Amino acid sequence: MKKLRKASSIVLCLTLSAALLAACGSNEDGGSATSTVEGVKKEGFPIVDKPLTLKVMSQDAGVADWNTMPVLQEMEKLSGIKLEYQLSPIDSFETKKNLVFASGDLPDMFYAADLKPAEQVTYGTQGILIPLEKYIDEGYAPNIKKILDENPDVRKSFTTPDGHMYALPFIDTAAVWYRGPMWYNGEFLKALNVEEPKTTEELYTYLKRVKEEDPNGNGQQDEIPLTSVKLDDLRMYFFGFWGMYNEGIYADKDGKVHYPYQEEGYKGYLTFMNRLWKEDLLDHETFSQTGDQKKAKGESNKLALFNDYHPYFTLGGEPSTKHPLMTPVKSEIADSPVYGKHPGISARGTFAITSSNPSPEATMRWIDYMYSYDGATLFNQGPEGLLWKFKDKENLVKEWLPVPGGGDREEYRGKITPNYGILTPGINDPDIAKGLRTEFDEWIDQQNQEKLVPIGKSPFPNVYLTNEEQSEATALLSDLDTYVKQMEAKFVTGQEPLENWDKYIAQIKKMGSDRIVELYQGAYDRWNTGQ
Amino acid sequence: MSTAVKESRSDKVFLWCNYIYLTIALVIVLYPLLYIISASISDPKFVSSGEMWLLPKGITFEGYARVFENTNIWIGYKNTIIYTVVGTLVNLMVTLPAAYALSRSDFVGRGFFMAMFMVTMFFSGGLVPSYLLVKDLGMVNSMWALILPGAASIWNIIVCRTFFQSTIPKELQEAAHIDGCTNTRLFIRIVLPLSMPIIAVMALFYGVGHWNSYFSAMIYLNDSSKYPLQLFLRQILVLQEMAAQGGGAIDTSSATAMNSKAEIAALIKYAVIIVSTLPVIAIYPFLQRYFVQGVMIGSVKG
Amino acid sequence: MQPEGKSALSQNLSVYTIPNSKKNKLWRRMIRNWELYLFIAPAFLYFLIFHYGPMYGIQIAFKNFIPTLGVTGSPWVGFDHFIRFFNSYYFWDLLWNTLSISLYELAIGFPLPIILALAFNEVKDSFFKRTVQTVTYAPHFISVVVMSGMIITFLSPSSGMIVNLVEALGFQAPQFLTDPAWFKTVYVLSGVWQSAGWGTIIYLAALSGVDPQLHEAAVVDGASRFKRILHINIPAIIPTITILLILNMGSILGVGFEKILLLQNPLNMGSSDVISTFVYRSGLVDAQYSFSTAVGLFNSVVNAILLITVNQIARRTSENSLW
Repeated sequence: MKKLRKASSIVLCLTLSAALLAACGSNEDGGSATSTVEGVKKEGFPIVDKPLTLKVMSQDAGVADWNTMPVLQEMEKLSGIKLEYQLSPIDSFETKKNLVFASGDLPDMFYAADLKPAEQVTYGTQGILIPLEKYIDEGYAPNIKKILDENPDVRKSFTTPDGHMYALPFIDTAAVWYRGPMWYNGEFLKALNVEEPKTTEELYTYLKRVKEEDPNGNGQQDEIPLTSVKLDDLRMYFFGFWGMYNEGIYADKDGKVHYPYQEEGYKGYLTFMNRLWKEDLLDHETFSQTGDQKKAKGESNKLALFNDYHPYFTLGGEPSTKHPLMTPVKSEIADSPVYGKHPGISARGTFAITSSNPSPEATMRWIDYMYSYDGATLFNQGPEGLLWKFKDKENLVKEWLPVPGGGDREEYRGKITPNYGILTPGINDPDIAKGLRTEFDEWIDQQNQEKLVPIGKSPFPNVYLTNEEQSEATALLSDLDTYVKQMEAKFVTGQEPLENWDKYIAQIKKMGSDRIVELYQGAYDRWNTGQ
Repeated sequence: MSTAVKESRSDKVFLWCNYIYLTIALVIVLYPLLYIISASISDPKFVSSGEMWLLPKGITFEGYARVFENTNIWIGYKNTIIYTVVGTLVNLMVTLPAAYALSRSDFVGRGFFMAMFMVTMFFSGGLVPSYLLVKDLGMVNSMWALILPGAASIWNIIVCRTFFQSTIPKELQEAAHIDGCTNTRLFIRIVLPLSMPIIAVMALFYGVGHWNSYFSAMIYLNDSSKYPLQLFLRQILVLQEMAAQGGGAIDTSSATAMNSKAEIAALIKYAVIIVSTLPVIAIYPFLQRYFVQGVMIGSVKG
Repeated sequence: MQPEGKSALSQNLSVYTIPNSKKNKLWRRMIRNWELYLFIAPAFLYFLIFHYGPMYGIQIAFKNFIPTLGVTGSPWVGFDHFIRFFNSYYFWDLLWNTLSISLYELAIGFPLPIILALAFNEVKDSFFKRTVQTVTYAPHFISVVVMSGMIITFLSPSSGMIVNLVEALGFQAPQFLTDPAWFKTVYVLSGVWQSAGWGTIIYLAALSGVDPQLHEAAVVDGASRFKRILHINIPAIIPTITILLILNMGSILGVGFEKILLLQNPLNMGSSDVISTFVYRSGLVDAQYSFSTAVGLFNSVVNAILLITVNQIARRTSENSLW
């Protein structure tokens, strides 16, 4: 059996080499296209007998030169694979990636690839990205295989309509948040002696009290009960109050797909927000301020309710447990509140192998390491002895070491590993952080479990549309989204009276909102039946 | 400069109005610049909240300290200087002769070249074919990808040509020809020295263009050791905007990383602006002397 | 040396001359000016290689570009992309916004550098002069990201200093940042602030070519400063002005997207969305090269028509034109 496998992998590699020579792959190194597959081990390190160089393209947070990072140097030592980097700043990665695809100037693999489902389908079917499942199933990715077998939904979500997996996700089974949640300023709650509001009416009353009763105690009516930046930060959370799981397409508990901007719940949301705006409970600078300005307001203790990843990001200071996570409130909609919970895998592909790669097997083994405890530790926390060490190796309990040279640990981490500020392939295994979690981390978990998980459901799985469907959806959505956003602002600020709701609905239906639902319902049904 | 002729009353009034006008312009422009300078040494908290509006508040030099410690900034500086100097030289060598040729009414084929150049102002093949071309020429990830595709700007050629046409008198050229001067000699020995203003202007325009450019670098460079200053600057500025939005973070580690980056960025944002623009602003006074009137004295007579 | 060569040449040519003497003159001029062809060679090669080389890429405006098939292999879709663009709910708004912002910019931003340059020219070279010049040209370098950040800070309803100033003068400060009626003004005036000083450079260079003897003669004749500016300086820079005006008209649909994107928000979108931001949004979603190329082509054609028209007008009414 093993011999057969080996033989077929050799044949595979030779076929690939032939394909490589036929295609216009201008690969300087790793261009030793003649088979290296004999030298690829399925277990253990180093991965290859003969030195192998691979070109990798990735996003780069710009903190340090990748050639000097201890994590990558360690990985090179372990694996025997040398890497050449083709890096791009985060904000221009999309452009550069598209250019690379369009021009055929391909790297061997994409790391932190940020591949949308549409891109996976397009480039996969064109042969630019190669199918990965065969390497996983043939034993070149034991860790990944284990995870996929234990979580069939993951495989389902990353298999395109033609039956192949062209990209790998980032897996975080413990993830709850899609984006930062809402937080109450705990000091205000205490000053006004209230418990967290449970319904939208109670929320309204509380915000009104914040405005009038000077909870920050400075004698000025400078409190801003609720603030936001263009409503983008709080929209998804607030939609949950009216029974909608997502600020885009979502599927409800019965598998029916909705476009939230034509739902009754959306009308409820608009009415409520308009009420807040009229009474100056919603910051009138919402639509024009920058994130910086919002932060400044938080740091001068003016905010009662706001959105951020952690409350101390906006309020300043150190992590503390005195600012509670906002409990989603109930509205007039039945079946509310709900919460759009993170599905546990990234929506986009974080890793892919291109057709010009000389050794997909070795590459697969290389990336598979990140899906193991050791690899995830290395790439997230650095090699042992630098930022952390084992306190109790038996039970895999770690502890932090003092940061070399003093300074912020997060900043230092950015210098030693590429996994900083970008979405990388790998897993976030709760085991990795054993012993390293702070009280604050534990407290957040507890808040999540208490307030969000019970009402949480993943809003929409990773579905793939066909190329035609995708073009149609894109064309419709681009105009629709613009219109919806503009109207939202007008309804909330009162420029457009809510009596015109029916006119608004008529317009978006004319622009194709029902067709959008139709398209995505079809894709959802396909996904559900596992086709 | 002007001869000592008595200024009439209306002239004095006019002069004073002029001064006032310029002073107003100065103040309007100066204020925001002072703002930037003050912001670079103020605590970012006061800057974002608007509390700092003219004089620095919460004075801290940490922004500058961090900028100077940041090796990327120095790498960027070195690269930008090289690209700018080489790039501008190439630009001048391509633009000036071409503009001069086009300015000569006895240049056969003038209309043809002009039309050929102008068409490119409107129609371009787009990013992908250009990228393919650069790739095929083997210039990807090299300095030449930043310099050659921008070797000349039709706009500048036209402006330059206009200058030659209106400032170099035809009599001068005809006189030179009669004296037996070749075109080359005429150009180098006579026209160029008379055109110092436009050369200075071209050097300035092209130079600043190179100094501020980032798009080509972003597309064609893969090695961060080759990045120009603007690319690093953008990474800092844009990232700060993105992170401050707070939403869309994918996992705790990313979010914390971005938040910490955003805080640093807020601190050094204005300092980086100043550090990256000061050199260019400093050059202007030196080029100024070429704009002095009367550079042509004696040319027609001589 | 040369004259003999010339007459020898013309002697030869007169022997073998084709009866058409015009053609003869043409050839002679070409040969006499052979060096000029060398002068123009680098620019010619540059445009040929780097501009005409990739120009085949324009066809993807009419195709559905698929990277692996390359440009030539991708299927034709005719005018589909254009139709999609014209049918967009927002097409007329986009066109109107783009045009009006451009014209507004031109109306205010074009004369100002000229006036400023003329003003500078009247001042003797001094510390004051150099300071004002350096200061006014500094804003040009401020990156668009920082610029927008500053605009938002200065016009912020709660803490912006311009708002404070307006209110201190007793007026009700309008919502600069969110009122669609104010967007264009904010955009244009901040743009003028940023570029006016820089714009004077080219005019100053042209003014420095004015023969001081003309001024001396005029002063002797008793002309005031103002009259002198009107009759000497301005005519001297008319060629430059005309050319720049024509060139500006030729980029009227090219309103850049970065600054607009940073100042845009859902409330002012009706007034702030332009063609380039629209393309950026819809183009980025799916790397829609074909669509954005099509819109770019549309832009170019309109710009070209405008340029040619304005150039013809200039040709008829003055001696200055692009061709």
